[in-house]
Amino acid sequence: MKFLARTLALLLALAALLPLARATQSDEDAHSGTHGTPHGPLQRSAPWPAETLDLAASLPIQDGGRVKPLSTYASFMLLRLNGKRAVELLGDAKLTPIEWLLDVLFVPGQAEGYPVFMVADIQVVEAIGLTVADKKKRDRYSAAELRAGRAKLYELAREYERIEERNRSTVQQQVFTLALNLDAYERLETSFDFARHDLDVSGSVGLRKLFGADSARFSQLVGRMREVMALQRGLRSDAGSTGELQALNGVLQEAGAMSQRTGILALVPSLGSVEAEPEWHAVEDLFLHSFEPDGVDARYVAVLAHLEDVARSAGDMPRCSKAISDLHGAVTPMAAARGEYEKIGLEISYYRANLITNSLVLFILGFLLAAGLWLAPRVKALYVGANLAVLTATALLTGAIVMRCMIRERPPVSTLYETVLFVTATGALIALAMEWIHRQRMALSSAAILGVIGLFIANGYETLDKKDTMPQLVAVLDTNFWLATHVTAITIGYSAGMLAALIASVYLASKVLGLKRADPQYFRNLTRMTYGTLCFGLIFSVVGTILGGIWANESWGRFWGWDPKENGALLICLAQIVVLHARMGGYVRDFGLQMLAAFGGTVVAFSWFGVNLLGVGLHSYGFTSGIQAALWTYYGIQWGLMVVAGAHRLYERARDAAVSEALRANSASGKANPN
Amino acid sequence: MKFLASIVDALSSLWLSCTLLVLLALLTWLGTLYQVDHGLFAAQVKYFDSLFLIHQAGRVAIPLPGATLVMGILFVNLVMGGIVRLRKTKATFGIFVTHIGILMLIAAGFVKAYYSEDGHVTLFEGQRSNLFESYHHWEVAITEPLPSGEVRESVAAQEDFVAAAPGQPAILRTGSLPFDVEMSRFYPNCDVFPKGPMVGSDVPVVDGFFLQARPLEKENEQNVAGAYVTLIGRAGQRREAILHGASRAPLTVEYDGRRFGVALRREQWVMPFTVALENFEKEDHPRMMMPKSFSSDVVVVEDSSERKVKISMNEPLRQEGLVLYQASWGPSNARPGDRLFSTLAVVRNPADQYPLYACIVIAIGLVMHFSLKLKKHIRHEAEQAA
Repeated sequence: MKFLARTLALLLALAALLPLARATQSDEDAHSGTHGTPHGPLQRSAPWPAETLDLAASLPIQDGGRVKPLSTYASFMLLRLNGKRAVELLGDAKLTPIEWLLDVLFVPGQAEGYPVFMVADIQVVEAIGLTVADKKKRDRYSAAELRAGRAKLYELAREYERIEERNRSTVQQQVFTLALNLDAYERLETSFDFARHDLDVSGSVGLRKLFGADSARFSQLVGRMREVMALQRGLRSDAGSTGELQALNGVLQEAGAMSQRTGILALVPSLGSVEAEPEWHAVEDLFLHSFEPDGVDARYVAVLAHLEDVARSAGDMPRCSKAISDLHGAVTPMAAARGEYEKIGLEISYYRANLITNSLVLFILGFLLAAGLWLAPRVKALYVGANLAVLTATALLTGAIVMRCMIRERPPVSTLYETVLFVTATGALIALAMEWIHRQRMALSSAAILGVIGLFIANGYETLDKKDTMPQLVAVLDTNFWLATHVTAITIGYSAGMLAALIASVYLASKVLGLKRADPQYFRNLTRMTYGTLCFGLIFSVVGTILGGIWANESWGRFWGWDPKENGALLICLAQIVVLHARMGGYVRDFGLQMLAAFGGTVVAFSWFGVNLLGVGLHSYGFTSGIQAALWTYYGIQWGLMVVAGAHRLYERARDAAVSEALRANSASGKANPN
Repeated sequence: MKFLASIVDALSSLWLSCTLLVLLALLTWLGTLYQVDHGLFAAQVKYFDSLFLIHQAGRVAIPLPGATLVMGILFVNLVMGGIVRLRKTKATFGIFVTHIGILMLIAAGFVKAYYSEDGHVTLFEGQRSNLFESYHHWEVAITEPLPSGEVRESVAAQEDFVAAAPGQPAILRTGSLPFDVEMSRFYPNCDVFPKGPMVGSDVPVVDGFFLQARPLEKENEQNVAGAYVTLIGRAGQRREAILHGASRAPLTVEYDGRRFGVALRREQWVMPFTVALENFEKEDHPRMMMPKSFSSDVVVVEDSSERKVKISMNEPLRQEGLVLYQASWGPSNARPGDRLFSTLAVVRNPADQYPLYACIVIAIGLVMHFSLKLKKHIRHEAEQAA
């Protein structure tokens, strides 16, 4: 059993490694049904009922090494193909990810018309030989539209696969990605072919007798495989029944071909314990297991039958809803028995509550109100409103982080995506705390700005990465103690560094734009805020960095190894230490402090994202493509502001010097001529 | 005297601290970028373990002090400016404590640099060993099997011969042996080739073979060293030989009826106990190729006592000053059921736990200092508001 499972896993892994191998089949081959008319429609006439969608959304699936709601799977799959989490149809109609997935799985004839393949450059579509009219340069295509160029697409993709990723042109890379996406889609689309088609057993007397009919369902065959095998053994030893044996083997072959198209959806929880049998089953696994001497447990066969019922009744909404409900009723207790269903509801609530987007909206609102406050400083309502908006936004974001911790049973930060959420939340909290101390309004605006930028980055990251943001962790990260201490501390350090850079930027920009010229207290306060934030950050950066070393000593046997991520953390510490010492020594004053703090922001950005782009070192977690441009944009803005502010200051000094020179000259000439 | 005072002033100045910290940051940054093309080890040697270096910025060569030099001066600066000459008031107590913590960290670094040994022991399931060997350093070992069944060993460390070159050979002489080893060339990374008729070679050919130097690998542990040696007997008889790190068996020689083995091998240390690998387990996340955990079930044998221990990522074994970590495994192309090996990194570091203590001290110092500042600041704000 274990060996079989391992072999199977290996085969699956190979299949995943060579996603294009399968696509070498000819067009017809990949898309024709087995034979005969399929049971169940390929179109649906009515929308999915809301309660059915809810049930389907909460079906558990094992994907990416963890059990998650089907809706999460649907939403990241759709995000991957479509670049967003909804399908927009003609008119105002919109499909949610779960509606889309149900259509792809159970009414593929309908789904293949949905424009869900995002193609960033029309050259990609032209390259695969499609002639396109009325499409924009960047547009969406349906599977049906792409199918005409399918063979060419896979041919090109195989060619480009041999080119190293960094050497591929943009169009080549997009062709490659589109091929992977279409392949993933086709795997989904054929997942339930096994359910829609009957196996024709009329050619075999034995099978006809066994099933009591001329045809059998796939699940029936799987369920009675032991008897089928016994039949086969009997026929093998009987030289006179080669025709019958051929017929039986033909049925098995057909079933095997069906099972190979069932895709990789692991929808069937294993009956063993999590420790003994960590892996859930896809339909193909059950088919393979059915050949083992013990056959397949009847409860697995029942789930297969439920899956068939769903596929066969699609289109007939009441019946199909009933089938989905039955499936749900069969599968969820199996997952629950393994303790793998408890978090499903929480995760669905997490995504349904849309905390991050709502938080972003409130941060934007808070920012607008704060901006209004600059124009009308005396309007108390604006101040209260802005405070309320930013506070609520921060609370929602914190809630999101807490929910993620509960779902993952992890400390708040264990992925690059989560650093963004956490940095934003702690930055906003620090700024709010400063607002509470200072009542300077500037801190409130900073919190709002930080919130808006941070959550835009988080959303952008998710859209670019297109992967589940709650992934499993590699072995070395599997330690909640160090994630909770080192990672949290270092991330708070990032947060303080970015906030200090933001306040410093406000200071520099105010100087350049000549704002608040008559209010030296404003600038003094900003400097205090920057200084305070840096001090706060330094504690966490230093402690976090050393804790990182201690962790490294625990897992790799050395405290410090000059690894890029370690160096990045050291750079942050050094930058912050230099600022504080330079200020203490009087080498910099307010302006210099702000310039250094602004520069510190780029040091943090380098350590946070930049070192991951180098592609070396032990901390190569997190994806990086697409970040480069954003990072350099930030460097450019930050350094640009510093250059402008520096030039402005030099100009002002020169002007002041000229003025005082003139004054001195004046008074000198006055002295020379006392009378 | 005045001159001395001004040197002391300079060495304890904040200005010097800032300059050194900026330099250290610059070196850290350059050394990070250097890794992209040259690997970690080369970057470490050039930027971090060095006293001076020449940084190539395109075609411009910029001389810079190495991180070791910078940190050395920083240490002096910290002691003189940050501790000895620091005004000791209530307000600076936190700073004082923090600086003490930093000193502890630097001390840990020094102890680690001069008193630690690190290497690995690699065992297949079922194997055992009480030796661990270096990833980086080589040694020349001369072994003599004694009639008692024991093996007498004399060893020359890498620093004794690393500079060996034609014209300045390294002579490894041990009084108790009837011969000396003279090393005329040492290559940190090289191959052995047979000398064919069509192959030209500008190095000596010994017994039909010669060493061909290769560029250093990015990963230092992939380098295989080699050397040309001449064994010189007490009567002056000379015998040339090639030693190569990848040889399976040592070179055997006979003097005065005694047999000796001479080998160039990775530096080895003896552990005060033996580890036996019973089982190595690599677990992936379900239905994925992503590793979930690695662990080695070992038996630690000491004298007559045996103890079973599981060593896994983040859970090393600490025993008698040695720490054993799960570092690697193989063969990477193993199929289910194949016999696996596990590589355990072994470190002897007397300063193992210093960073933890330093971290606590630093955290206390910083919190003390900044909370004092914050209190002052809030009071100031309140007064302003009043």
